[in-house]
Amino acid sequence: MSALRGLWRPAGARRARTPAELFSQANRLRREGRYAEAARSVAEGLAIDPASITGHLLAAYLHVAQRTGAPAKQEFQWVLARDPAHPRALLGLARLQLEEGDLDACRDALVRALRAYPDFPEARAVLDGLAARAPASPPAGLRLDRLRMPGPAGALFLVGHDGGLILARPASAAELGHRLARAVGLAAAALGRAGLGPLRRAVVEDAGERHFVRADATLTLALTLPRTTHLTQGLLEVNRLWAAAQHELAVAKDEAAAGTASPRRVS
Amino acid sequence: MSRLKLGLELDGTSRGRQVRDIVVGLARRPAVRGALLVAPDGFVIASEVAPTVALEPLAALAATLGRDLEVGASRLNRGSFQTAMFSADDGTLLLATSCIGFVVALAEREANTPAIRAAVDEAVALIESAWAPPAPAAAST
Repeated sequence: MSALRGLWRPAGARRARTPAELFSQANRLRREGRYAEAARSVAEGLAIDPASITGHLLAAYLHVAQRTGAPAKQEFQWVLARDPAHPRALLGLARLQLEEGDLDACRDALVRALRAYPDFPEARAVLDGLAARAPASPPAGLRLDRLRMPGPAGALFLVGHDGGLILARPASAAELGHRLARAVGLAAAALGRAGLGPLRRAVVEDAGERHFVRADATLTLALTLPRTTHLTQGLLEVNRLWAAAQHELAVAKDEAAAGTASPRRVS
Repeated sequence: MSRLKLGLELDGTSRGRQVRDIVVGLARRPAVRGALLVAPDGFVIASEVAPTVALEPLAALAATLGRDLEVGASRLNRGSFQTAMFSADDGTLLLATSCIGFVVALAEREANTPAIRAAVDEAVALIESAWAPPAPAAAST
């Protein structure tokens, strides 16, 4: 009888949901890509339990999902202030630090996450994608001034085997070169995880440009062309430059071996 | 059903199902090994990949790469990042941005890449239309 009575609640007397229920609902909505609705549930839950780590972590995820970095960072930092080794908060913070271009802080957060939780495949994967991004020095005697950019090209970059930028032309485009180098490293790691093998070619498109990439284990070459460039044309141009860069590398290597790295005329 | 109608008629739950169907449809294209939709925070919204592929690390990398390309393009005033295609010895990974996350397709080496690229673009368009906010009602005069 008492169980039956429980079913007979006056209309409008809906039981208030607990924070756990609200966060669970938010997580379900997040799974469906319904970020705004999920954020409302999280806000409702946090209004009841403002000290919930789950709630603040969910809030951080939802800010990232909605591409709002600053409040996401605050939420991850809130969690880490209470649990400095929280692996998910460290991973989230690391990814935001990468977006900000702070590679050292990003790597540090990933290493801390892995120290706390060595079996954390997501953190390991991102760290692998950022491995050895130190500035590279070109091989002695390498004459990159001989590489001729096609007329409409906006920029040309060469990236060494360690992921560091060897050449950025024009020099003012170096930041784009660093970003492309990082993207190539992350893409190479993703290809490896997907079982597709080492990166060979890439085409990255944004609203105004197409970036054509050739790569092997030792070198990556990226050429930025207008978005209107036909794919075939862009690939031909990058292949031509790739062959020229390989030739210059071989010459530099031969000269280094023979100890005759003498200055040559720029063509 | 037109894309606009599709977007307007779907409630939240059916949108979830719809997005799953879009990913499965992409993954079942000829010479496609798998596909996934990853939120910008690395959360896997939908996936259809071989069990041999570890999903979470791949999703973490795809989301990190996608965000890095998005942020880079906008910070350097190069417009918005749209798509990227990375080819390896044994296949190609295609990545495209959408309002709720990144669409990823894994294609075989011998795949018709332009066709798969078009399929990825179509998947993005379907997601965008399903997630588009309802058009404001026309003001009555």
